Amino acid sequence: MRMRTNSSSHSGLGEWLFQRLSAVYLGVFSVFLFAKFLFWPVGDFAEWQAWFSLSWVRVIWLFAFASLLIHAWIGVRSVLLDYISSFSLRFIIALLFATGLLVSGLWVIDILYGRGA
Amino acid sequence: MSINNKSPVDNSIRRPVFLNLFLIRLPIGGIVSIIHRVTGILLVLLTPATIYLLDRSLTSPEFFAQLKNQLDRWWVQLVVLGLIAVLAQHFFSGLRHLALDIDWGIERKQARMTSWLTLVGTTIVLGITGYLVR
Repeated sequence: MRMRTNSSSHSGLGEWLFQRLSAVYLGVFSVFLFAKFLFWPVGDFAEWQAWFSLSWVRVIWLFAFASLLIHAWIGVRSVLLDYISSFSLRFIIALLFATGLLVSGLWVIDILYGRGA
Repeated sequence: MSINNKSPVDNSIRRPVFLNLFLIRLPIGGIVSIIHRVTGILLVLLTPATIYLLDRSLTSPEFFAQLKNQLDRWWVQLVVLGLIAVLAQHFFSGLRHLALDIDWGIERKQARMTSWLTLVGTTIVLGITGYLVR
């Protein structure tokens, strides 16, 4: 059996890949959003709401936030690992971020697919 | 210098290695890389506020109207420009990192040039946005 050499239980290749895939999605989504607001600005509330009632719009926003939360978690984790040497402090901060990101995710699902919207 | 200069594959290093940025003098590529991290953390911290705005703007016509009116204030426009700058910088330095991953622009000369280009890209996006919200 191979001995563990790192504090992580895996090589980190998965994280590396997820970080890149989510980055690509977020990049394309950002360009799309920028172009949307540039060429088809949102007029009023009804228009804004109507746009979000389209199922493809909800799906791309859901994917965007899913990518964002995954991307954020991996990013935050590597930044914390690089600069915060105290394990307990790092653990507490990581826990706060993880909780915040999870709640954010549930909140987005509620906005896009809850409340009978 | 408190950082360990041994090869990254050397298992004798105690891991994780903690970096003290105040002890390292960085080239432009390193500075852009740090900027990528700083803007990334800022964007994570801003995520709940963004979701809040999305939530309220979709549920309350009054809130949507208020939000739109606020965009006429100069200091709100300044805040928006600041946020766009953070996002654009993270986008361009991220794009640069993705390019480096596929060995594109890894020569020192190109790597330095693309570092500066991320700052140029951000300035251009700021210009366009500034023109729009003006």
